[in-house]
Amino acid sequence: MKSNNPHRKTRKLALAIALVMAAPLTLAGDLDFSGFLSVGGGMLDDENSPPYGDYDEEDLTLDNNILGLQVTGAVNEKITATAQLIARSENDYEVDAEWAYLSWQASDAIKVRGGRLRTPFYMYSDYLDVGYAYAWITPPSEVYYLPFNNVDGVDIYVTKTLGIFDTSLQAYFGSFDDELELGGVPSEAKTRNQMGLAGTLGKDWWTLRAAYHQADLTVDVTGIPIGPNLTIGDFASALEALGYADNANRLLVEEDDAVFTEFGLNIDTGRFVAAAEYVEFDPGDAVLSKNIRQYVMGGVRAGSWLFHVTGSQAKDEATHPEAGIPPNQAVPIFGSTNVLIGTLEAIAQSQVVERDVVSLGVRWDVASSAALKFQYDDVDNKNAGDQKVYSVALQTVF
Amino acid sequence: MINKSLRVVAATLMLGGASFVWAEVAVIVHPSAGFDALTEDDVARLFLGKSKSFPAGSPAVPVNQNEGSAARDKFNEAICKKNASQYKAYWSQLVFTGKGTPPKDAGDDAAVKAVVAANANSIGYIDSSAVDASVKVVYKIP
Repeated sequence: MKSNNPHRKTRKLALAIALVMAAPLTLAGDLDFSGFLSVGGGMLDDENSPPYGDYDEEDLTLDNNILGLQVTGAVNEKITATAQLIARSENDYEVDAEWAYLSWQASDAIKVRGGRLRTPFYMYSDYLDVGYAYAWITPPSEVYYLPFNNVDGVDIYVTKTLGIFDTSLQAYFGSFDDELELGGVPSEAKTRNQMGLAGTLGKDWWTLRAAYHQADLTVDVTGIPIGPNLTIGDFASALEALGYADNANRLLVEEDDAVFTEFGLNIDTGRFVAAAEYVEFDPGDAVLSKNIRQYVMGGVRAGSWLFHVTGSQAKDEATHPEAGIPPNQAVPIFGSTNVLIGTLEAIAQSQVVERDVVSLGVRWDVASSAALKFQYDDVDNKNAGDQKVYSVALQTVF
Repeated sequence: MINKSLRVVAATLMLGGASFVWAEVAVIVHPSAGFDALTEDDVARLFLGKSKSFPAGSPAVPVNQNEGSAARDKFNEAICKKNASQYKAYWSQLVFTGKGTPPKDAGDDAAVKAVVAANANSIGYIDSSAVDASVKVVYKIP
């Protein structure tokens, strides 16, 4: 799924530049620049098996790159403006303002932000693109799979020491519009009334995290082909004409109440590191599958080396858009309701991912701001072939 | 016998620690600060961005020595429990989220001492040998 709306990009970029330009006018010379870079690539073991991650060739391609630049300017003592501009190889290095927000430090413990923010879906959401900040080249894609990572809205971030524990709470409200590529056709996707809560509780070497998000989710799936000269939209119209409006409604993703929950644990004792996350996505009354995903990672540091192993799993459950259609009834065009039921079941099943992945990785801190990483993923697809992936990346912050 | 073992242990420790700098590092604040001591945890919280004020309530502005200085490495290992790259990775988790800004790098012992001596809210660390009356020592890393 790729974002591909050049107009919106240009607008976002214009906004970001305006934001960045406005800051020096207000307070010349007080701009903080920081950035990150990841260059790398990988290769598959078997092109005849389903591709995995960002790779689809048996030959090594070194074309998986991200460059990010963050500019922060103080508007006054309490208010700062931040923009993060990111260029990705997968988007042909089009510069995209993934974040652009104003931040108000209301007190030592409370920060209020407005603009385009990173949605706190996951433990590593905030620095998802900053590979240097964690052990893997990228976090496990079984869990880190959501196409929306950002939200246009407001949030409040509160940190507090409760007894001996460090806690934080982030709450946000907003919406998001994007264009995805589904089944080879571009389709509009949007969230409305998106809101969520993410909380952490930690002490020294461990942190627990939990998050809950909900949104009215709309994805235009009508253009996706499901057969020769037949799209999901056509099929939904046919269902409606045949008197199965409920089923047609379940087939489409229109303002469905989607819910996403996450639980995470992070451990770093200096010598040992570990992380685990469990997520669940409930699509509400939509044909998208119920996603149940998790991973567990453990690692050990030896000098400037970090060796880690991760087991991750996707175990989705198909929804039942066919529920309520009586079998073995004659219907026009399709012949029997069994055809309708079979088609709906097949569409629901096509949304299911069932996969186990074991990853072995090494992080080598070659300098204080640069890490060289290698990773091997052994992928076991339940209903498709297996795959092995070898990848490498050099990741820095500056 | 016991003495001999101890001597072996001591010698081993000396060898193992040979690459470390043994000089004591002092955590310093402005002489006007209304407190005379901080705990290791207090100092760690300030330098890891978990707290923005001294325990007494006044705002705190931590300053680092430049990367690569012996005092900085010792301070990070002893107080923040992180080596240079872990420290960098920790802050990159906060910087790129807008959730925190790392302490500014202010230079060497003399530069950090000058910053702390000139700012009532500053807290820094320097080699103990560089301490003088312009600053107050609130914690010592042996």
